[in-house]
Amino acid sequence: MTSKILAAALLALGALSLDPAAALSKEYILTSTKPNTLVLVDPAARKVERTYQIAGPGAPLGIVPSPDGKIAYVITNHWGSLVGIDLDSGNEVFRADLSDGNIRARNMFGLEISPDGKEVFVMRSPVRLGQGEYEVQDVGIAVYRTDAGLNARPDRILPVPRRTTGLFMAPDGSRLYAVNWDIHTLDPKDGKVLKVDKVANWERPNYGVPDVFGVWNHYEQAKVFANPYFAVRTDLDPKDPAMARTGMLTLDFATGAVTMNEFENTSAVIFSSVVNPVRRNEVFSVYNTLSKTDTGTNQLVKRVTLPHTYYCLNISGDGKEVYVAGTISDIGIYSAETLERIGEINLPGGHDMGGTWIRMVQR
Amino acid sequence: MKHLKPINRKAGQVERAAEDGKAPEARVMQVVTGCTSTLDPGWEVDPFGGIAALCQPVEADLYGCSDPCWWPVQVPDTINTHPDWSTEVPSAMRDWRKLQSVYNKK
Repeated sequence: MTSKILAAALLALGALSLDPAAALSKEYILTSTKPNTLVLVDPAARKVERTYQIAGPGAPLGIVPSPDGKIAYVITNHWGSLVGIDLDSGNEVFRADLSDGNIRARNMFGLEISPDGKEVFVMRSPVRLGQGEYEVQDVGIAVYRTDAGLNARPDRILPVPRRTTGLFMAPDGSRLYAVNWDIHTLDPKDGKVLKVDKVANWERPNYGVPDVFGVWNHYEQAKVFANPYFAVRTDLDPKDPAMARTGMLTLDFATGAVTMNEFENTSAVIFSSVVNPVRRNEVFSVYNTLSKTDTGTNQLVKRVTLPHTYYCLNISGDGKEVYVAGTISDIGIYSAETLERIGEINLPGGHDMGGTWIRMVQR
Repeated sequence: MKHLKPINRKAGQVERAAEDGKAPEARVMQVVTGCTSTLDPGWEVDPFGGIAALCQPVEADLYGCSDPCWWPVQVPDTINTHPDWSTEVPSAMRDWRKLQSVYNKK
C-alpha cells in the first residue's frame, strides 16, 4: 500500500468515525397493527418506542422505510393508498391514492423505494367499475416521486406481468426486480426487461411446477431475496417421501444472481425467509416453526416449534437475533445461533398484526 | 377433477381450462390477484393430510386471510365488499365472537 492510499484510507476511516449520524444511528423495527397503526420498536430495549395512528380506514400492509430512516411509506386504506409518515413528527407527508374515478386500484404486495429515496415503486392492480360489470385492466408498477406531496400522481407506469408480488431494487438503483411466476429484471427508468430468470416456468426434468409464495419485503439486511419453494418429483412414487421437496430460492440484489436448490423432503410449511447478513449461508424461515438452513450445503440445520403461527421475520444487522412477526400481536426474538426464544415484545393493545411486514430501519 | 363439481360459471371455466390443457392459467398459490381467483386449500386440512401445519391458532390467521381477500368464502372480502367487517375488532384472538357472518344486500 502506498503512503497516498494509506492516507486516503485513514481519512475515510476518520470520516466514518466522525460522522455524527452514523455514530448515533440505532437499529429499530418498523411494523404495524390494527387499527391502522404503524409501530416503531426498539429491539435492544425490548420495547415499543412509538406508535403512529394513520388517518383513514384499513390497516397497514407493505412498509418501506426511506434510506435515511426518517419516513415510512405504508400501504393502507384497504390496500388502496400509499402514505408517507414522518417518523419524527408523526405527520403524513406523502399520499398517493391508487384509485382514480371509476378505476378502482389496489396494491397487492409489491412495494419498494429507490436507494436514493427519491422514488417509490408500487405494484398497482386496477379494475374499471362498470354499471353491471368489472373490467380488469392491465397491471403496472406506479412510480411516484417521494417529494410529490399529499396528492401524488404517478410519474410513470411500468408494464409488468400479472401476479407480480415482489419488487426489489439493486443497491445501486440500476435494476428493479419484479418477482412473479418468474423473476423479471427491469430498467427502473422505463420498465425495459433486461433479463428473465425462470421460476414457475422452469424446465427441470422430472419436476412439476414449483409452488412459490412470496409476498413480503424484509430483505434489507443481506440484500438478498430468499424464498421457499415446494416442488414435486414426477419420476417418483407419490408415496415416496422424497417425492415432495422443499427448496430455497435466492436472488442477490447486487449481482442479480438467482439460485434454486432443495434442502429437504417437504416436512413443514414455510411462509417466508431471511438471510443472515453476517453469515450469508444461513437462512431463517418461519411459519409454525422457525428453521435454520445452510444454503452452502443445502441442509436443514435446526427447526424449533413456535408458540403460534408467524408469517414473516427479519434479522438484526449483527446477525445475532431473529425477529418473527405477523398474525397476532407479538414479535418473538430468537437466537440466530441456537434458535432459542430469548425475548418478545408485545404490541400495544394486543392488537393483531395480520399480514403486515417487519422492516429494520437505522435512525 | 373427478371428485369436484363446479357450482358456478367461474369454477366451470377453471375445469374447462384444465381439460383444454390451459392448467397454468388456473395454477394455485402464486395466483395472488385477490377475490375468488385463489384456489388454495388450507383451512380444512394441511398439505400433509393433518391439521398441525394449518395456522395456529385459527384466530391468528383470520386477518391474514380477510385483508388480502384470500378466501372470500370463508372470511369476508375486506378489500372491496365488506371493508368494515373487522373495524371494531382489532384483536381476533380476544374478540372473535364479535365478528359476524355477512350477507349479500338484496
